[in-house]
Amino acid sequence: MDSSTVRIILLIIHYLFFIYAFSVVASYILLAIISAIESFHYMKKNSFVNYNEILSSNISPSISIIAPAYNESLNIVENVRSLLSNHYVNYDVIVVNDGSKDDSLDKLIEAYDLVKIDYLINPQIKTQPLRNGIFKSTNPAFEKLIVIDKENGGKADALNFGLNISNNQYVVCIDVDCLLLEDSLQKMIKPFLEVTDSKVIASGGVIRIANSCTIKEGKLLDVNLPKKFIEISQILEYLRSFLLGRMAWSRLNGLLVISGAFGMFEKKSAIAVGGYDTNTVGEDMEIIVRMRRHMEEQKVNYKVAYIPDPLCWTEAPDNYKILISQRNRWTRGTIEVLKKHRKIGFNPKYNLLGMLSYPYWFFYERLAPIIEVVGIIYFIILVTLKNVRWDYAFAFFLLAYLFSVFFTIVAILSEELTYHQYKKKKTGFKLIVATFLEPFILHPAILFAAIKGNIDYYFNKKLKWGEMKRKGLSN
Amino acid sequence: MIDFQHLLAYFEQLPLLVKAVWILIGLLIIFIILLIFYLKYLRGYLRKKEAISKMLFTEYEANLINFLYSQTEEEINEEQQIIVDKIKTSITNKFKRKIFISVMSKLKNDISGEMADSINNLYIKTNLINHSIAKLKSNKWYVITAGIKELNLFEITNVFEQVKKHENHPKQEVRNEVQLYFVSLFHFKGLDFLNTLKSSISEWNQIQLLEILQKFDDQEISDITPWLKSGNESVVLFSLKLAKIYNQFQIIDTLLELLNHQSKIIRLKTIEVLNYFQVNEAKKILKNNFKNSSEDEQIAFFQMLENTVEIADEEFIVLNTKHVNFQVRVLALKILKRLNNEKLLDLKNNAANDEDKLIFNYLENN
Repeated sequence: MDSSTVRIILLIIHYLFFIYAFSVVASYILLAIISAIESFHYMKKNSFVNYNEILSSNISPSISIIAPAYNESLNIVENVRSLLSNHYVNYDVIVVNDGSKDDSLDKLIEAYDLVKIDYLINPQIKTQPLRNGIFKSTNPAFEKLIVIDKENGGKADALNFGLNISNNQYVVCIDVDCLLLEDSLQKMIKPFLEVTDSKVIASGGVIRIANSCTIKEGKLLDVNLPKKFIEISQILEYLRSFLLGRMAWSRLNGLLVISGAFGMFEKKSAIAVGGYDTNTVGEDMEIIVRMRRHMEEQKVNYKVAYIPDPLCWTEAPDNYKILISQRNRWTRGTIEVLKKHRKIGFNPKYNLLGMLSYPYWFFYERLAPIIEVVGIIYFIILVTLKNVRWDYAFAFFLLAYLFSVFFTIVAILSEELTYHQYKKKKTGFKLIVATFLEPFILHPAILFAAIKGNIDYYFNKKLKWGEMKRKGLSN
Repeated sequence: MIDFQHLLAYFEQLPLLVKAVWILIGLLIIFIILLIFYLKYLRGYLRKKEAISKMLFTEYEANLINFLYSQTEEEINEEQQIIVDKIKTSITNKFKRKIFISVMSKLKNDISGEMADSINNLYIKTNLINHSIAKLKSNKWYVITAGIKELNLFEITNVFEQVKKHENHPKQEVRNEVQLYFVSLFHFKGLDFLNTLKSSISEWNQIQLLEILQKFDDQEISDITPWLKSGNESVVLFSLKLAKIYNQFQIIDTLLELLNHQSKIIRLKTIEVLNYFQVNEAKKILKNNFKNSSEDEQIAFFQMLENTVEIADEEFIVLNTKHVNFQVRVLALKILKRLNNEKLLDLKNNAANDEDKLIFNYLENN
């Protein structure tokens, strides 16, 4: 190759990087605009809603909260108490103890006066068998509680067991350590009940970070900003993702994921597609993609709804080790799901799902870390070859950094104009400081985790969920 | 000055793309600075607004309580008139009006009888009613909705015609509010909108309407037969709920006709109501339709048989003990246990698959 050919190739590479970066930025701006429209619409629409009638009505639809638990002995009693304190009338709580090696079951038996019962299970979805059986409380105060003790099969398997057991019309699948606000169920059920021209198959809620918040007896009393920058950075990341990203996708009816920590499904639809996939670590995303795919193939007019209200609060990793492990899993989950459902990608038969949602996730979620790393390597090569115009490079780095800061501030503004959860003085300043630091504190760790996730996916197939050590939310 | 000239010269010689990048950097810096200042202002404003809201809420609440407790036999006495004038001067802006209405609304939910009437009276005396009526003429759906909600809350019945104009509004939220207004203020008579409704009533609103209806002392419901025959599916579904809640035994013939309705969901809900009434005549129709019914209808029919089974049904039940659907199979065996336990034991001895053995064991112990 002569030098002019090399130059042309380099120029093409430069333009490809540029086009990619430009399209990412353009898509973010577009999504932010759409989310602003949707937020306005949502806030207006829900300002008239009276949730009290639904709350107290005995003809309101029945809901099961399914909470899988694995070695959650430290907080399980408290967490279950929080789940039992919901204000909705017609619901039950199914805790699936998924082969825990600790004393979770004993603690539950003692705290809630549980006794073993005979229960006929409709085995609609294949799961691991029962271990010690199914338990219910002898205390009428806890009549809504069902505890299942089964052999370990992973989170997806535990959720499937819950789907088999539930006798209710709707199911809420959550992480047992999540704290639900008392009005969460009536807000989550609303999209299912208010549609008249289509079918809602699932609704997803926002996840908020509860680190440092004041929580007592399973109730959120005060919202505080955590002290560590790694935690504050995740708050900013969640605000961007939930208030700007998912809000916009909800408007477009293109949501491809509902957080596994808090999502509601029509039970029949979830069972019709075979429940959760036990062979992926991204089971929360996979079931939504599969349900959507099923609906598209059946030519049913459907919707995946999204509730932006801060209803579910959870503990976020407070150190890099756990954060990287969590994001590694999310990356592997994304790769698995997109690979499994590659048929829908760029396939006009699947309408918006195939032509917009899938390609977006493929280019801007699946490929983003790889392209970024390729870009870094390419830059290092150019530095080594002394082929860098440092003033140009500086300008592009600065632009990328400032856009990231700008976008995060827009997310904070969006939060202030809608839910205004971080009310205390000086938290605004801390959030702004974290906004400037986040690209250096959080982003490198997330990039590293994503690359590690890719490597683990291809070279370490045995790796599954991994454990997250909980500190507990209660103060 | 020299530095600035150098910078300008440097900028001039840059390629177009890099020039654009520097312009964007400049713009982003300006936007970020502006947004930070705006954020600071906004947070301060929201905090202040919250504090003022709390203060006004307490103040209005106190005024309102004074107003209610100084009630005499007169329509409005001197002391009350002073409070009314004070409030009228205070609620000149939208923000304060909104808070005052929320205070009235809160108190309205806590009290009833004469005191509730006094609040309605105050709503009129403070001219808030005119603001609400003006909202009905707005082009914005959420303003109309707010207006109807207020008129409903303070029981203003004489604007019925103005509210009725919006009963087929393109926006569902407005329609919902109109329906709630009708039923809250005119009770069962308010359900007349079902005769002319062109759009669907959401399940959400159906529940709300039924809950409101159940609060009234007068539980005399008009004839629901025309609604059960409506071409609007949601009206039929709503009427089926009414039939069940208000024990409308007299409409059983219409319910039997609905078993052949083209909508699967209507057929299913009809079976559930017939089950509630334990109507034996439905069994013949349902048995004839059984093969062509959906699984949900089949399950609902077997749930009905649990309550209405007779010896004559045994053959049909035995036939379905091998049904492909687990729930139908369980129900059939459960009913058979009651009807003919020996037959059940026969079937148990011949059970081949593990799933069936589990069912038999469960039935034996329960």
